[in-house]
Amino acid sequence: MTGLAIQPALVGGTDEQSIITRVLDGDRGAARALYEAHVHRVHRLVFRLCGDEDLTHDLTQDVFIRAFDQLPRFRGEAAFSTWIHRIAVSVTLNGLRKVRRLRTRELSLEGASHVPDETSAPSDPELKERLTRAIEALPPGARASVILHDIEGYTHVEIAVMLGIAVGTSKARLFDARVKLRQALADYARE
Amino acid sequence: MTEEKLQELLQEASRSWRVPPEPRVGEMWASIEAAHFDKPRQRLTPRWWVLVSAVAAALLFGVAIGRFSAVDRAAQPQVAASHAGVAEPYGTQTTELLGQTAVLLAALPREASQGSGQTRFAAQAEQLLVTTRLLLDSPVASDPRLRVLLEDLELVLAQVAQLPAASRRNAAELEIITDALEERDVVPRIRTAVASLSGDN
Repeated sequence: MTGLAIQPALVGGTDEQSIITRVLDGDRGAARALYEAHVHRVHRLVFRLCGDEDLTHDLTQDVFIRAFDQLPRFRGEAAFSTWIHRIAVSVTLNGLRKVRRLRTRELSLEGASHVPDETSAPSDPELKERLTRAIEALPPGARASVILHDIEGYTHVEIAVMLGIAVGTSKARLFDARVKLRQALADYARE
Repeated sequence: MTEEKLQELLQEASRSWRVPPEPRVGEMWASIEAAHFDKPRQRLTPRWWVLVSAVAAALLFGVAIGRFSAVDRAAQPQVAASHAGVAEPYGTQTTELLGQTAVLLAALPREASQGSGQTRFAAQAEQLLVTTRLLLDSPVASDPRLRVLLEDLELVLAQVAQLPAASRRNAAELEIITDALEERDVVPRIRTAVASLSGDN
C-alpha cells in the first residue's frame, strides 16, 4: 500500500517543476518523462477502480490527455501526483457511469433470457469472490472510498482532495461502506 | 463479520484484488501524443471572443468597484479579511457565479427531463463556464477549496453545455450529470462556499 505522500517528487533526478515548465514550452521529451514517471501508478489506480483492462487502457490515456490539456492551470501547490490522481479518479468515475449506462442499454436490447440471475451465486462461494462482489455492489462514492483507502492506502486527506469532498465526508463514506460490506459478508461469519 | 476480520480481508485484498496487468506504455503514449501534441490549435470563434470580452469587462468593472469602495471604507475599521485571501471584487464575482450555478443546477433535472429549455440551459452553462474558467485563472483559485469547487463546476457545466448536442441521449446524459452532482456533493459545497464568502464580505 503506497499513498500519495511517498510518491517521488523528482523525475530522473530533475526537479519535477522544471520538467512541467518544459512540457508547457512544448518539449515532448519532457512530457514523455513526466508520463513515464506517473503512468504505472495512474494505470494501477484506474484498474483498481474499474477492473477492466481495455477500459483501463482507454481511461488512462484520457487521464493524461486531460492532464496535459490542463497543465497550464497546475500551480504546484499540491504535488503533481496528487493533482493527476485527482484527474484519474474523476475521469474513471465518469467513464464508469457512461459504461454502466451503455451496458444497461445493451442488456435491455438482448432480452429477458440474458438477464443474469441474481440468486445464481455458488452455494459456497470463496470469501474473496464474495468480497469482490460486495465491493462492486457498493454505491460509486462508497466503493471509491474503500478502494482508495483500504486497498490503495490513500489517506482521508488525499481522498478528500481527489474526490473534491470534505475529509469528514470521506470518513463517513468509508464507515458506511464498511457497514455494508460487513452486512454483505454476514453469512460468512455464521458459517 | 467483525471489523477486525473485515480489516484483515481488505488488507489481503490490497495485495491480491484486481492486480493490474502491465500497462501498454508505448501504445498509450502514441495516442496521448497524437491527441495532445498533434491536434490542430483551436481558435476561439468570434462568439467566444464576445463572451470572453464581456466577462473580462465584468471582472474589470468588479475590480473598479472594489477599488472605489475600498477608498470609501478606508476610514472605517476593517472587520474581517476576505475569504482565505480572495480579493473582494473576485469574491463578489465568485459569489455571483456560485449563486447562478446553484440556481441552474437546481432547476436542471426537473426542467430538462421534461424536455424543456435545454438550449437555454446550455447557453447559460456556456456563459457560466467561461466565467468559471476565468476565475480559475484568477487569484480566487489560490484558495484550494474554491479551486477544487470551480474545477468540479467546470466539468459539470461543460456537460450541461453539451446537452443539446447530445439530444438523442439526453435522458442518459442528464442522469450522468445528476449522478456526478450527487456523488461529489456539488450543490451543498456551493452553498457552503457562498455562505463563507457572504460571511466574509
